[in-house]
Amino acid sequence: MDIEKRKQLTALMKTRLNRPMRYYLDLCTRCGLCYDTCHVYQGIPKKEYSPVGRAEVVRRIYKKYFRPSGRLIPSWGDAKVIDDNSMNELLEATFSCTGCRRCMVHCPFGIDTQHLMSMAKVLLIGNETAPEELVMLADSSVEKGKSIDEFKDGYREVIRDLEKEVAKHLGVTETDGLIPMEKKGADILFVGLAGAHSIVHPAVIFNKAKANWSLSFFEAVNFGAFLGDPEKMQFIANRVVNEAKALGVKEVVIVECGTAYRIPKFLIGPLPFKVSSIVEVIHRYIREGKIKVKEKSIADALTYHDPCQLGRNGGVYEEPREILNMLATDYREMTPNREFNWCCGGGGGLQALDNEQFRIKSSKPKRDQIVATGAKIVVSACENCISQLDTIKAGYGLDVSVKSLTELVVENLA
Amino acid sequence: MWDSIYFFIMVPMVYIAFATLVIGIAFKFTIIFISPTIKGTIAVFPKGSVPKLCAVRDSFFMPSAFMKDKPFWVVIIAFHAAFLLLIIGHLELIREFAVIQVIPHEVFLGAGWVGIVLIVTTIYFLFRRFKTPWREISVPEDFIILLLLFLTFIFGSHMSLASRYGIAGFDIQVSEYREYLSSLFTTSPHVSRGILASPHYVIVALHVFFANLFMMMFPFSKMIHSVFMFAAQFIKRK
Repeated sequence: MDIEKRKQLTALMKTRLNRPMRYYLDLCTRCGLCYDTCHVYQGIPKKEYSPVGRAEVVRRIYKKYFRPSGRLIPSWGDAKVIDDNSMNELLEATFSCTGCRRCMVHCPFGIDTQHLMSMAKVLLIGNETAPEELVMLADSSVEKGKSIDEFKDGYREVIRDLEKEVAKHLGVTETDGLIPMEKKGADILFVGLAGAHSIVHPAVIFNKAKANWSLSFFEAVNFGAFLGDPEKMQFIANRVVNEAKALGVKEVVIVECGTAYRIPKFLIGPLPFKVSSIVEVIHRYIREGKIKVKEKSIADALTYHDPCQLGRNGGVYEEPREILNMLATDYREMTPNREFNWCCGGGGGLQALDNEQFRIKSSKPKRDQIVATGAKIVVSACENCISQLDTIKAGYGLDVSVKSLTELVVENLA
Repeated sequence: MWDSIYFFIMVPMVYIAFATLVIGIAFKFTIIFISPTIKGTIAVFPKGSVPKLCAVRDSFFMPSAFMKDKPFWVVIIAFHAAFLLLIIGHLELIREFAVIQVIPHEVFLGAGWVGIVLIVTTIYFLFRRFKTPWREISVPEDFIILLLLFLTFIFGSHMSLASRYGIAGFDIQVSEYREYLSSLFTTSPHVSRGILASPHYVIVALHVFFANLFMMMFPFSKMIHSVFMFAAQFIKRK
């Protein structure tokens, strides 16, 4: 690596030294209380996969360029120069971390490893060694945002087909208007994903509840966040924000996708509308009597996996539990759960990378949790988690079925 | 020559160390203050009903450490509680504080236990780092700081215990320390006769030397966690 590149990366690093980052870089005493709180470390017990191990990779570079001790006596804190080796270490540390932030709950200083990894991701982007898959996916989302008019007609055609499926679920013949789009004055803008089920099931619920809603032209997933590019993340999020503003909606409802929920809800500052997860909306509709479910209609033992971005990082803990307790006769909690729940190992954009064996090994704590419940159905409320739970099921040969909460509700509508 | 070295340690170096400590912390605060804040929140849930109070509780009682490793938590709490008493004890070596004497006690407070607790807990922290996995995550700074603390505590503890219990003919009394330390604070610095004349002067000088190093390192090492802990905990709750 040449000196110019090093200078460029150091300058890039400086731009990301915000207040929390400075705290997290300076505070750690390496007490090691976090070391085994990461599911990856549990599955693959290597120092590099412990939260402190990951953080140290970033911290050592920081010390080298931003601390007097790192400049004068690098060995004092194991300060490291930016070179190809340290960039490889950053790559391994960052894209083995799902950003679940379980370690943050256990850290006596509350250090956010995901935030530290955002520094690593920025450096990898600057070095042009960020995973190509994520770069392409983020760029494609940005491109769609720039030229949405070219996509609209094709997308409307797809949606017309999906309306037929919605009609089947509702038992009606008229399909027109079952999935409204560009509806000015709608109360809700719903943001789905690329998969048909992510639109059909919520559409059934909105229609049952007679909601005044509109479907977004964009998918909720934010590959800019997974990639760790703050500008792209903001641009991708703004696509929906601008659409919501143009339609004048009161609420943006995000499909079952933890990161897609967390970004507009907590990470991009105040917005002129409410942001909710589809889980919260389903819970609200049931509570208000707008939709009815067949109570205690599921006899098989059922458990719930808290998606990290929805639960620990989003605060949605009780709504899914209340819904599932209503539906199932034998609801069983995983141990630990809520803020202490183990990550499934599929977040942080890891699903988009070629790493299935790694994800299976690193999800051992989740496998153990599922097995311990003895449940036959594992429910979650995040597309990433559901896909990863399917990988765990196949990888460990578990005799369970994996369901999305919205799907389960639709199957059990009264 | 040794007299000059001792004097340097006991007077100019103390001022240098104290100035480094104060300016270093002020510098760190300035850096933090001019750093940009973030949009939104990176809190984890549940935030707690009163986030600031929860952050105070998390900072002082470290419930996450209690949940994870109870013996380690006991050691952490014992160390930090003893360290707090150590600071109070040193304030009383500068002058009398009626408010601290609400519970009447002999100076130095703790009857020697403060030093013993600090030594034992520091040894625990040090030896813990020799074990896997803590050995792998440790860097030289971790060992050096613990060694520095150990040396500071061992000499300080010796001074306190030997003076209180008349061990090894230790002849430096509290009044001598008070004369010396208060002279530093009134900017008329001198080392009291009792200290200068004592054959144990070297023990005092070594204690002050290591304490000076501690103060100089404090703002630029991981020890700064004691200053910024609440802020980080509040981010977790905000």
